[in-house]
Amino acid sequence: MAKYVMNRLFAMVITLWIIVTITFFLMHAVPGSPFNQERNTSEAVQQNLEAHYHLNEPVFIQYAIYIKSLATLDFGPSIKQSSTSVNEMIGRGFPVSAELGITSLIIAIISGIVLGIMAALRHNGAIDYMAMTFAVIGISVPNFIMATLLIQQLAVTWEIFPVATWASPMHMILPSIALATGPMAIIARLTRSSMIEVLNQDYVMTARAKGMTTFQIVMKHALRNALLPVITILGTLVAGVLTGSFVIEKIFAIPGMGKYFINGINDRDYPVIMGTTVFYSAFLIMMLFIVDIAYGILDPRIKLHKRGE
Amino acid sequence: MKKIVTMLLSLLLLIGIVGCTTTENSSSNSNSGSDDAKQEDGTKVLKLNNGSEPTSFDPPIGFDSVSWNALNNLMEGLTRLDDEDQPQPAAAKEWEKSEDGKTYTFHLREDAKWSNGEAVTAEDFEYAWKRLANPDTASPAAFLSYFIEGAEAFNTGEGSEEDVMVKAVDETTFEVTLESPVAFFPNLISNPAFFPVHKATVEENPEWHTEADTYVSNGPFKLTKWEHDSEFEFSKNENYWDADNVKLDQVNWAMVDDTNTEYQMYKTGELHTSDVPADLSEELFSDGKAQVEDQSGTYFYRFNLEMEPFQNQNIRKAFAMAVDQQKIVEFVTKNEEKPAYGFVAYGFEDAAGGDFREVGGDLVTTDADQAKELLEKGMEEEGYDQLPAVTLTYNTSDDHKKIAETLQQMYKEVLGVDVELANQEWNVFSDEQKQLNLQFSRSSFLADYGDPINFLESFQTDHSMNRTGWSNEEYDSLITKAKEETDEAKRFEYMHEAEALLFEEMPIFPIHFYNQVYLQNEDVTGIVRHPVGYMELKWADIK
Repeated sequence: MAKYVMNRLFAMVITLWIIVTITFFLMHAVPGSPFNQERNTSEAVQQNLEAHYHLNEPVFIQYAIYIKSLATLDFGPSIKQSSTSVNEMIGRGFPVSAELGITSLIIAIISGIVLGIMAALRHNGAIDYMAMTFAVIGISVPNFIMATLLIQQLAVTWEIFPVATWASPMHMILPSIALATGPMAIIARLTRSSMIEVLNQDYVMTARAKGMTTFQIVMKHALRNALLPVITILGTLVAGVLTGSFVIEKIFAIPGMGKYFINGINDRDYPVIMGTTVFYSAFLIMMLFIVDIAYGILDPRIKLHKRGE
Repeated sequence: MKKIVTMLLSLLLLIGIVGCTTTENSSSNSNSGSDDAKQEDGTKVLKLNNGSEPTSFDPPIGFDSVSWNALNNLMEGLTRLDDEDQPQPAAAKEWEKSEDGKTYTFHLREDAKWSNGEAVTAEDFEYAWKRLANPDTASPAAFLSYFIEGAEAFNTGEGSEEDVMVKAVDETTFEVTLESPVAFFPNLISNPAFFPVHKATVEENPEWHTEADTYVSNGPFKLTKWEHDSEFEFSKNENYWDADNVKLDQVNWAMVDDTNTEYQMYKTGELHTSDVPADLSEELFSDGKAQVEDQSGTYFYRFNLEMEPFQNQNIRKAFAMAVDQQKIVEFVTKNEEKPAYGFVAYGFEDAAGGDFREVGGDLVTTDADQAKELLEKGMEEEGYDQLPAVTLTYNTSDDHKKIAETLQQMYKEVLGVDVELANQEWNVFSDEQKQLNLQFSRSSFLADYGDPINFLESFQTDHSMNRTGWSNEEYDSLITKAKEETDEAKRFEYMHEAEALLFEEMPIFPIHFYNQVYLQNEDVTGIVRHPVGYMELKWADIK
């Protein structure tokens, strides 16, 4: 186990380094500069700005400087918001995105699994069809439409919730629901199909024959196995949801991380592009790693150390 | 079984559709920002939206509208623009100009104070202006300081700080010597780039401007809360010299980036003003709810004179005259912009009290017949049997696309020319345009300060805003003369001449002037929106 973990950690660092390198050179290969504004600025001013951020140096030197500061976990200052460092941006934005992400993940996981189980138990029944129709809508309605509908109906017309911003728990409800619908639908569908499969297994039959109630069977025997595929996608889902959804955060004016990904690229704010990419990649790699470990715990048939050797 | 599923699905779809329609109905019926704007305890709190996190509240760095709107109300320069956009005494109570128009002596108010209670001194100004020009500051607004003698040399690394001709003669006397007599200097220095900074604070803590508790300001308001990326809050600055005339107790700024959300918040009373969402603009204009204010800027197109067929003046003119600006603003943009038939926007008064644009008149007209004639003439001059292919490029955006497609259609109808359209992401586009790689491209100009020369200087030979390959000695000399001239009437004459020359050769042609369209709570009064792009809350009030 320890050896497996060490191997994986080493592989993670290499993966991260490859991502950093590719991103860095791609980013500098794209035309444009962080100082391209609609407004007019003089050449001399541009040069001063470039010198200030070492952008006048050859790309390889910039790369070396960057890797060096990255080793100390310093992502450098943002060019656009010059008084803020990228570390500060992530430090501010990530907790907010994570808060939103965790809330919506809890909504998505609980309601997704419940829906999936109900559908599986009433396979081909009315509840199954209703739940799956619901899931199809959840997958096919983009979350920004969901968000707009929620705002229009619950905030503007009925005035139950505030329209936007991130001030109180009340403010969290609408964006969390909007962000949760997609993952919820995916989880519900996955749970349903693997549940149906598990429910037809011999050991479930045995349990039934022993006279256990449906509730007991689901909780004790079926669910644990049925959740494996759900865990598989959870890794990516968690990383995606926790590091911010640009669209939802924009619509609800939530000060999360999502906007840095997009605005960083639009503004050619190099340190921000790098910082967010590194952070997201590291997070994603970490999540996949945790998922692999979780497999071993949930399913004793999977032996981690064998694959690691 | 299948039938039931189909039925169920169609039922759901139906519910969805009905749901959407009722939503629309209810939105037009609900109240539109007419909630009682005042707080219950009688304090006056204005709720505004800044769109996003300000770039910086450090005056020389925050050179954009997300910083200006706030900065202009936190700080105060020597002058402040009034509700008619004219510079009025602010931190300076009066000033004199030397005979040659090159030296300005400002006398500061004795009662001008910083939010920490200390006096605003001439030394603060000297320090701030030298800081603006300092190459180490890396201010994007540094070029505005080039009017001051020695500032350009210092900024480009050729001169020294001592040679920048700004001087604190004593506590309250501040003397500036300019490169040339700049008649609009009092107007120019109302720009946030010229705001003072509290010298002791800046020297002690270079990060003073990043948090609310270290921020020291001298304007009508002070920064009391700043939650980065989320919101910030102003309170009335009781140390401000004219605090008696500041009526608001507090201003809350949200950072909502999405226009639709902003509009919804406006409707529920969470905001007092809002932009107009594009899909609703027609409705809001016809209801009379949307209000319009000028903005100093021009939406225009650039020809590239180094690419065929636009080396030819008549072909350029043909392409310009085939365009119907009136139709574009009426049927395409539908945002009540004024169609542009000249480059300098409205709102610049000359010595005789006339508006520069009105005096200058229409320099390009929409004339299909003449456009056709000019195209033929131009093709003959160049010996073309067939016009070389023309590609019109714009930076990717729905609004620009609509205009580009309209132009394409106009060229097809009027000139019988098939123009190809291409779009590029903003940064790529901007690079390509600067390197003269685009044949015919969408452009915009936003004024930095309130004088026609700011518009016209763009097209001097090799100016960073030229981007057409156009060069005309006479034009260059007219701009230089206008910059040197002390007599206002003559100065405007030179500028009119220059503009006429620009349109005679037509390296560009205009589409419309920019404007600012907004919704505002009926109880809110006195917000002034200057055409140069910043907002004034000093006189704002809530009924």
